[in-house]
Amino acid sequence: METDIRFTHQTLVEQCKKGNSSAQYELYGLYVDAMFNVGLRFLGNTEDAEDIVQDSFVDAFKKLHSFKYESSFGAWLKRIVINKSINHLRAKRIAVVPIADHEFHLAEAEPVEAEAVDVKKVQLGITQLPDGYRQIISLYLIEGYDHVEIGEILGVSTSTSKSQYHRAKKKLLEIIAGL
Amino acid sequence: MDNFEKHIRENAAQFDTQKADRAKLWENISAALEQEPPAPKVLPLWKRPMLRIAASVVLLLGIAGFIGLSVLSSSTTETQYVSKELLDIDQHYRGLVAYQVQLVQNNPNLAPADKEEFLSFMDELDAEYEVLREEMRNNLDNERVLEAIVANYKKRIELIENLLQQLNDAKQPDDEYGYTL
Repeated sequence: METDIRFTHQTLVEQCKKGNSSAQYELYGLYVDAMFNVGLRFLGNTEDAEDIVQDSFVDAFKKLHSFKYESSFGAWLKRIVINKSINHLRAKRIAVVPIADHEFHLAEAEPVEAEAVDVKKVQLGITQLPDGYRQIISLYLIEGYDHVEIGEILGVSTSTSKSQYHRAKKKLLEIIAGL
Repeated sequence: MDNFEKHIRENAAQFDTQKADRAKLWENISAALEQEPPAPKVLPLWKRPMLRIAASVVLLLGIAGFIGLSVLSSSTTETQYVSKELLDIDQHYRGLVAYQVQLVQNNPNLAPADKEEFLSFMDELDAEYEVLREEMRNNLDNERVLEAIVANYKKRIELIENLLQQLNDAKQPDDEYGYTL
């Protein structure tokens, strides 16, 4: 029996590859909420998140033949949603990394150690983060990417991803402390 | 990773608090999926007299170029060098295969029917090989032809190996023909 996480929903995915629309609907049903939340975290409003999620599913079903189980279907789909979200923000000239200040920081931001905080507070804190901080925090903390992957997604170096993340985390902790 | 980060990563699912409007989104998705890709427009280019003339000129140039190239390339030293190398490889494999075929033919432990079947396979591969050689003469730099020739040789050697393996499996252990390869 195949237990590898990459092959989750393999039967459904294979049916979708053949264009079976009920299988498509079933797969959609399994992932739509998670993808909508990813979109919301990045874009900050329902309308944009809905547009991106719709587009992502259409793209995913059309390009499903190129999905070769190198990751799970969910991870593959999430990457589509994230890439589309980032492109959307860029098109609207919204920062996806906190660029404004990092040019002036000659010293690396020191990693801050912090204790576990109530998830609800973190959630609220993230919504109050400025653009650019929110994306990198979501990518690392919630979506679970490492700095190499984040570098690829945002088109920055691994060290930039690290320093920007530390800056964003510091900011998030400040906001949480003030809640 | 500190406790703050660990705690969030472990509870990442709790951040998915919103529900999507499933019906509305699906309606748009299925509509987009059902949309047939627009049929590619066919432009009857050949109907335009100017293009017909242009096509004729291109065709003539192409033929002239092809002839010119084949005349030129037949005399370059590089081609001669490549064909010399190929000839050597070819000779080597041909010798190897001929030797193995001889071994099979001379083998007293093989049933005549098996021998005949084997030799008929070899004949088929021989015929295919002749076609490939002919093709090779026409397109010396064609990698696919080269690959096909190598595959042809491999097939022959594999056939011989299989046959000798069968022989060894069935026969006493002192029959060592299979290991000459």
